[in-house]
Amino acid sequence: MRVVVADDTMLTREGVVRLLRDAGIEVVAEAEDAQGLLHQVRLAHPDVALVDIRMPPTHTDEGLVAAQAIRAEHPQVGVLVLSQYVEPSYALRLLQEQPERVGYLLKERVFDIATVVDALRRIVDGETVIDPTIVSRLVGRRRREDPLAGLSEREREVLGLIAEGMSNRAIAARLYVTERTVEAHTTQIFQKLRLPESPDQHRRVLAVLAFLRA
Amino acid sequence: MTADLIRRGNLARLAAGPVALAVGLGALAIAQGPGRSTTYAGRSNLIATLTVAAGLALVGAGLVTAFDRRTTRIGDLAVLAGLVWFASVWVGWDNGPSLMRSLAMLAAGFTFPLLLHLALAYPSGRLRGAVPRALVSVVYLEAAIATLGRALFRDPFFDPNCWANCTDNLFLVRSLPRLARGIEVADRWFTAAAAAALVMVLGWRLLRDSWPARRALLPVALPAILLAVTVIAHTIALQRTPLEDPSDPAFGAIFLIECVGVLLLAAGLVWAAVRTRVQRRAVARIATSLGQAPPPGSLQAALANAVGDPELQVTYWLRDAEHYVDAIGRPVAEPVAEAGRAVTTLLRDGRRIAVVSHTAALPELERELGAAVRLALENERLQAEALAQLDQLRASRVRIVETGDSERRRLERDLHDGAQQRLLALSYDLRLAHTQAASDGDAPTGSLLTDAIGQAKAALGELRDLAHGIYPAILAEAGLAPALASLADAAPLPVLIHDAAERRYPAVVETCAYLLVAEGLDDAAQRDASHATVTVVQDSGQLVVTVKDDGTDRTAAMVQLADRVGALDGGLAVEPTRLRAELPCG
Repeated sequence: MRVVVADDTMLTREGVVRLLRDAGIEVVAEAEDAQGLLHQVRLAHPDVALVDIRMPPTHTDEGLVAAQAIRAEHPQVGVLVLSQYVEPSYALRLLQEQPERVGYLLKERVFDIATVVDALRRIVDGETVIDPTIVSRLVGRRRREDPLAGLSEREREVLGLIAEGMSNRAIAARLYVTERTVEAHTTQIFQKLRLPESPDQHRRVLAVLAFLRA
Repeated sequence: MTADLIRRGNLARLAAGPVALAVGLGALAIAQGPGRSTTYAGRSNLIATLTVAAGLALVGAGLVTAFDRRTTRIGDLAVLAGLVWFASVWVGWDNGPSLMRSLAMLAAGFTFPLLLHLALAYPSGRLRGAVPRALVSVVYLEAAIATLGRALFRDPFFDPNCWANCTDNLFLVRSLPRLARGIEVADRWFTAAAAAALVMVLGWRLLRDSWPARRALLPVALPAILLAVTVIAHTIALQRTPLEDPSDPAFGAIFLIECVGVLLLAAGLVWAAVRTRVQRRAVARIATSLGQAPPPGSLQAALANAVGDPELQVTYWLRDAEHYVDAIGRPVAEPVAEAGRAVTTLLRDGRRIAVVSHTAALPELERELGAAVRLALENERLQAEALAQLDQLRASRVRIVETGDSERRRLERDLHDGAQQRLLALSYDLRLAHTQAASDGDAPTGSLLTDAIGQAKAALGELRDLAHGIYPAILAEAGLAPALASLADAAPLPVLIHDAAERRYPAVVETCAYLLVAEGLDDAAQRDASHATVTVVQDSGQLVVTVKDDGTDRTAAMVQLADRVGALDGGLAVEPTRLRAELPCG
């Protein structure tokens, strides 16, 4: 898998690159700002770009803007945004702008380099990735009349994994159950929450996230 | 008053009345007797009455005008012009005393110079500007030379065009009929030219001046222009018919219009005097009309109303701040005098309190303002000073809040870009070391490093929360609505947000609204509320933010919030289970 890494802080960029290389990922280029990133993507034709959300000049959402530009220009290139913000708004924005082949992970996930590698793989496979911390914040959100109260423990777990962007097969593997069981859970959940079930996985993620935020 | 009257000038003015009456009645007698064919007044009783009335009116108006100390010069000029006006009748006293006729002949030459002087010096009595000064000097000089030449060399007997007085000149030294004729013609054309110049100067003034100044000038300027036109017409008529003849309709009409002009001039002077008197009373009464606690600016309005100058402006001098402000404390430029506008500095106990910019037609406002008005001015100045200080205070409060906010923002960035990045880099190294230890089979180091990674993770989490608490980046980047949604995501109690304000607002307003909601939710959770409702609505220039909950009654006063809202000039209502802030948002 060929990856481009963009981060304006050399220290962290090098750390990420070393960890990725250590895990057997081919880092084909590095960039320190959004413009450099777009340039490298054009040159190197990577599978995924790993992008820091904060980059010059404003140090706010350059990563999100760059992600959109990459996805628009190179639909075959996925984007994984690394962020220090536990902000569902940012994750939702990323998904709403480009629902496919994108991911939003917190920076400290890089400690578990396996998680990052898995996320990169899933993105290359066309899936969506949302950080579990963000999903758990949304699932754990206080509600007056909690619609999630009607869900069983297992169903909640499955709902969270759906929100993280996992496919039924991935969920089945994670929970050590059959894919059929996961499908059954999914149908239950969508009926209980009165959500329209969609075969499109990205729409499924977006629908669940939006529901959790409402 | 008595002391004033004893002064010579006033004695002379006192005598002017009876003298004018005598001279006027004499003129009437001459017109109806010996001067029937040698004066215009002798043409008919009506014209005789008009002639005498015009002269007497001018003298009377002059006396009324001179009574006001600020316009004595104008009054004196009018009295003199009125007296000299009768000279043209006295010249025609057929078979009268030679000295009288000779003197009257000389005096008659000064009627026009006096009227011109009066018109140009009105209303202050002083000649302002080089052109009017030069014009008046030259006209007097020419009149003096022409009169001298007439006295010394004109023998009426040898004047083929003589009509009013063909016999008497007591001052004749040598009869030079041709020189005398030349002097007459030159004098006539010079006077016509001066009259044209007068029309131009007055016309230019009327065009240039602001409305209040123009209104003050018109009652004198218009009759003066009319009189100047008759002078020009008379010169032209004489050019056509060298022998002046009162029975000629053209000459008769010109004289009639001249009488009307003088009457109008007298009426204008009286009207102006009365108006000034009324204005002075009004100015003096301003203080009583203001009432107990006049709102800022009422003094300017009252003063403008009293002097009939809607453009009048009162500005106050702030000694400490060393600049001028208007009545509500806003800084304004120093008022300066310009065309048609004058500036009066008002003092109280020797200190500058206010500067009034007003029409130049109101020459000495300073003297008109009584002690009561000065006190009112001082009061309004103090009020303006207080308002100016309040404005400054307000601006400084906003600045303090804004500085604090931008400091928080900077701190948040520093944490993210500095400490957090270093901690991340450190953690990555730990991770690498851990992998190394694992591949080396060094279990104790591996578990130590796992602990260290755990600690670093916890530190990162805390750092992130700290940075978010100092300043939520999403607020600056995405605005109030996403930031509030994020607040609700992590709130310790269910929060319902009704947010109708989708647009961006000034950073200081967004931060204030955000902090209000954040503190309101924390407070609600502490008072065991089961849920809270946040409403954000924009209502004509105000962002109204409400946080309502169902907890127990509030005990905290929310002082810091109130300070912050107050700094934005907004209002915060702290109720037992509701916070409501109105934030001006432009």
